Amino acid sequence: MSGVLVVVEQHAGRIARISWEACAAAQHLGAQLSLPVSAVIVGAQVEAQISEVAARGLPRVARIEHPLLAQYTADGFTLALEQFVKAEQPDYIVFPHTYQVRDYAPALAARLGQVLISDVVAIGDGPVFTRQLLQGRLNGSYRHVGTGPCIISVQAGAFRAGETEKCAAEVTVVSPTIDPTQIRTKPGEPFRGSSQTVDLGSAQLIVSVGRGIKDAANIPIVQELATALGAELAASRPICDNGWLPMERQIGSSGQTVSPKLYLAVGISGAIQHLVGMKGSQCVVAINKDPDAPIFEVADYGIVGDLFEVVPALSAALKAAKG
Amino acid sequence: MIAILPTLAEPQSFSLSEKLLFAALAMASVYSFWNLFGRILNKILQSKKDSSFRLFPITKRIWDFFWEVLCQAKVVRERPLPGLAHAFVFWAFCAFALVTLNHCAVAFGIGFLNPAGEFARLYFYVAAAFAFACAAGILGLFVRRFLVRPKWLGEQLSYQSGVIALLIFVLMATYLAAFFVTDAGPDARILWWVHTLTLLTFLPLIPHTKHLHLVLSPATVFLSRGGFAQIPPLAGDEDFGLVAGADLTQLVSLQAYYCVECGRCTEHCPAANTGKLLNPKEIILGVRAYLNNLGPASDQPLLGKYNSQEAVFQCTTCGACEFQCPVGIEHVPILVGLRRGAVNTGAWEDEHGGKLFLALERGSNALGLSPAERDKFIEKQALPIFDGTQEYCLWLGCMGGYDPKGREIVTAFARVMKFLGTSYGVLRKEKCTGDPVRRLGNDLLFQQLAEANLETLAQNKVKKIVTICPHCVRTIQEDWKEYGAPPQVEHHSEFMARYVDKLPKQPSEEKVVFHDPCYLGRYRNVYDEPRKVAALAGDLVEAPRNKERSFCCGAGGGLAFLGEEDGERVSHKRAAELVATGAQTIAAACPFCNTMFRDALAATGESAPQLLDIAQLTARGLPE
Amino acid sequence: MKIIVAIKQVPERDAQVRINAAGKWIEEVDLQYALNESDAYALEEALQLKEKHGGEVTVVSAGPERVGQTIREALAKGADRAIYVASNDLGSRDALGVARLLAAAIQPENPDLILTGLQSEDLGLGQTGVILAEVLGLPHASLILHVEKTETGLTVKRELEEGWFQTIELPTPAVLTIQSGGNKLRYATLMGIKRAKIKEVRQVTASDLGVDVPPVVLMEGVTMPHKQKSTQMLGGSPKEAAAALVEKLKFEVRVL
Repeated sequence: MSGVLVVVEQHAGRIARISWEACAAAQHLGAQLSLPVSAVIVGAQVEAQISEVAARGLPRVARIEHPLLAQYTADGFTLALEQFVKAEQPDYIVFPHTYQVRDYAPALAARLGQVLISDVVAIGDGPVFTRQLLQGRLNGSYRHVGTGPCIISVQAGAFRAGETEKCAAEVTVVSPTIDPTQIRTKPGEPFRGSSQTVDLGSAQLIVSVGRGIKDAANIPIVQELATALGAELAASRPICDNGWLPMERQIGSSGQTVSPKLYLAVGISGAIQHLVGMKGSQCVVAINKDPDAPIFEVADYGIVGDLFEVVPALSAALKAAKG
Repeated sequence: MIAILPTLAEPQSFSLSEKLLFAALAMASVYSFWNLFGRILNKILQSKKDSSFRLFPITKRIWDFFWEVLCQAKVVRERPLPGLAHAFVFWAFCAFALVTLNHCAVAFGIGFLNPAGEFARLYFYVAAAFAFACAAGILGLFVRRFLVRPKWLGEQLSYQSGVIALLIFVLMATYLAAFFVTDAGPDARILWWVHTLTLLTFLPLIPHTKHLHLVLSPATVFLSRGGFAQIPPLAGDEDFGLVAGADLTQLVSLQAYYCVECGRCTEHCPAANTGKLLNPKEIILGVRAYLNNLGPASDQPLLGKYNSQEAVFQCTTCGACEFQCPVGIEHVPILVGLRRGAVNTGAWEDEHGGKLFLALERGSNALGLSPAERDKFIEKQALPIFDGTQEYCLWLGCMGGYDPKGREIVTAFARVMKFLGTSYGVLRKEKCTGDPVRRLGNDLLFQQLAEANLETLAQNKVKKIVTICPHCVRTIQEDWKEYGAPPQVEHHSEFMARYVDKLPKQPSEEKVVFHDPCYLGRYRNVYDEPRKVAALAGDLVEAPRNKERSFCCGAGGGLAFLGEEDGERVSHKRAAELVATGAQTIAAACPFCNTMFRDALAATGESAPQLLDIAQLTARGLPE
Repeated sequence: MKIIVAIKQVPERDAQVRINAAGKWIEEVDLQYALNESDAYALEEALQLKEKHGGEVTVVSAGPERVGQTIREALAKGADRAIYVASNDLGSRDALGVARLLAAAIQPENPDLILTGLQSEDLGLGQTGVILAEVLGLPHASLILHVEKTETGLTVKRELEEGWFQTIELPTPAVLTIQSGGNKLRYATLMGIKRAKIKEVRQVTASDLGVDVPPVVLMEGVTMPHKQKSTQMLGGSPKEAAAALVEKLKFEVRVL
């Protein structure tokens, strides 16, 4: 077989959106090069997911099954896919750029004498693959020049996983040859990070409140927003100084340094002591009544308005969105 | 006139046994004095040489010696009443030099001052006047120490001081009493012996007590390193600051021994005043205890048993201690030296401190922000880029380039310069001057920052720098010298003060209180210029602690970047003093003070006075 | 434990990014360089393991002469010695080519453990460590926050997505790629820099190592990304603004 192969990742029977995005990227590539697209999913018992994959408009789906693949190991997955790729000979292999893929795809590529073009954000004619360099400050265009399969992984969110026409899929089951001794690592069960104390440092979502809240009695308004968002509640120094929230929730130069995916600053003007504590946030949203508040300079999204009106509206909208 | 006054009585002749007794006692006393004093002297002399010490130019040293030692100027200025009492004791001791020598000579019949002679009579009267003043002075000091008991003298009553005061009093009293007895009677003999025994008791006590300063402080004032809070360059490849005894230099050891334990340093220390561990007096005495017990060759760490690392890193380097010290102890170089020892060897571990260092190892500013933020600010305010044609390079600094409040100050000052028609430009890139890491004792990082900046300035052919930050001013002008020749630099208060006549005076009844930043005041001796500028905006009032005695905001010495402080916040204490003046406006002249007070005033509530930099106050009066 | 840490010199995070005349990379004149951040964490982990269990930490780094500065920095932080792979054409090698170069330099050392950072701040490929393991035929684990030595090998803490972690046991010798943030980094000290001067830096060249394979992936050129970060203000009534924000959080920030 030649064509584009997309490797779909499943965890405990669940397929995350990024895998669908990888499918979209593979379909994009297939359309561009007029190549057929097929999918493969690796695991122990992944039968249930096949129909889901097929439903994404992929006419050929393979599942690689083996008891030693029940739990992910780099050795197991590399071996399984190596055998599969050698048998199928695809021209292109598309991975979702997940932590798991980062762990074994480079080794797989090396074993095939290839190099993974990782974390691709766009595919142009050629095909030329665009990657971000210098932490997003530069883009680089990459091209595969050797013989053999071209292997890429695509960044989360770079390709839109839209609805596609369903089609009947031809499903094959493959059983690789894996010897237990070939798996050298022994993985443990996943566990949550310790949560006995407030660990803002590893929080993904943070709602932070500042002086704009005016009174301790108003704290529940933002607490409700944090709950609606599933976020940790934090605060600027004056709030903790006044004892409205405990000191360990203070963000800034004398408190904690955080780097969440989302930092929602409510009634925080953005004094430097605060900014240095949250500058690592991937996305900053600011709600403040002062349009000149410095926090807007570091914000990705801003709402100028009375927090006592905006915050309850936002909580309501979030609850509605989450159903 | 003199003839009718009584003469000083002297015993006329001494028996052989008396002579022998006196000689034996005198020798025992001198031996006892030298036994300890010699050891102390040895410890000082065995300490490492001060490689950066230069005796010349000597005129300044002579003047300091005259003014501070002979005239007791600093002692009197900083604490007038006790200072004057101290001066009288000192002057009496000087006057007594001849008297005492003659007193001893008399025992062997070789007295050289004849009480009947004109000169001696006059001299004895002058000495008597001093003796009287001295007795009164020592009595006053005794009352102060044991009855008034100011808190900075320490919880513990110093009985040594009591004994010494008594001895001095007895010396003076016995001298004065000798005017009222006759040579022939037993009274003169008794007085002579009491005076002598007191003297011989006093001498060996000197090296045992803080009165060692009698002998050492004239030397130390003369040998002072000069300059204020000067951090000496490290000497050679094996010098990492004050790590162990072997790193104590002769000047440091000398200072440790001559501390008089007066507690002025602690009295003015912002850390000690807000319930922190740091007590500058105890730091110096800790070094002394180390020298006494381990000596100057020891490789035991200086921080540990005798001094606490925690305390050393609570210093804001405000310099109040050093400024107040009547015997010229240089606290700041010692505290920074101890920090250097801990940081240069990696012994200091601190979450925030480590973050600051890593931010500056890898980036350009102490706040760890992206320089793109600075670029954005420059672009937004359309600040001209320095291209070598402008007169001034406007140095933004970390606060001016990144802090929202600091940016407001820069923007205001840029307006002032524009109004005055001064040409200026900002550099495309700047690194932190290294002020916080210099004061925290990270010499490696400081050198890297200083060298990188000096190179940028040279490339851009900068001749004159003006900046809103007194820390930048100090670091560029004084600390960078170790690594090159920095351009001329001045603080924006000095710049604006020169043009004060051209700047509009605002018709306002507003009461304005100016807070002296440590690095502008004590470090640069600039007090009047910012006041002149602030006075444009309203009526100046003064906080109780002002100018040389201004109280720190808590940010200096790199502490702005360290974590939450123990005890009361220094900034809150100072802000409360400023609020208490009743001023509607607090005028600041340092972006660090500004940011510290901003937080502190937030706790004051709605009624807090407004807080503005002098540049903002000035810009307020400019036409739109 | 004999530990090798592969480190990379990257442009300082604050460096100004301008594309060079050839359009292949950024202008390197005036560029300042630093130790790649996750490599710094790898070094820290190695130093802590050495402090706990004894042994030796050797850093290996490839690149042009300027890399020497970063090597000295690593020695200053406590590495015992260094191997410098002199190479002026790293840019023309792909990840496999670089990993082969490093593997050839590391192999004769017979280490118990090889650490690298998770990924570089400049190219961000995030592959060198994993390929290194493949080339050397060693087991590996990536995204490691913590390493513990056991009787038989290692127990490591691996970061998974969305706040989950996993413990992995693996035998030594092994390769681990270290995620940033697992330890507190130590700062460079003056004493460290002075001591580093007398530490051994062994230089080898790419041709000494005899690894020359044509690349299979080429970076053809670089461009500046169009998007400049600017604040999007969401207007309207509180309700409208809230709705607009939820939309953004869902589709642009993708956190819902």
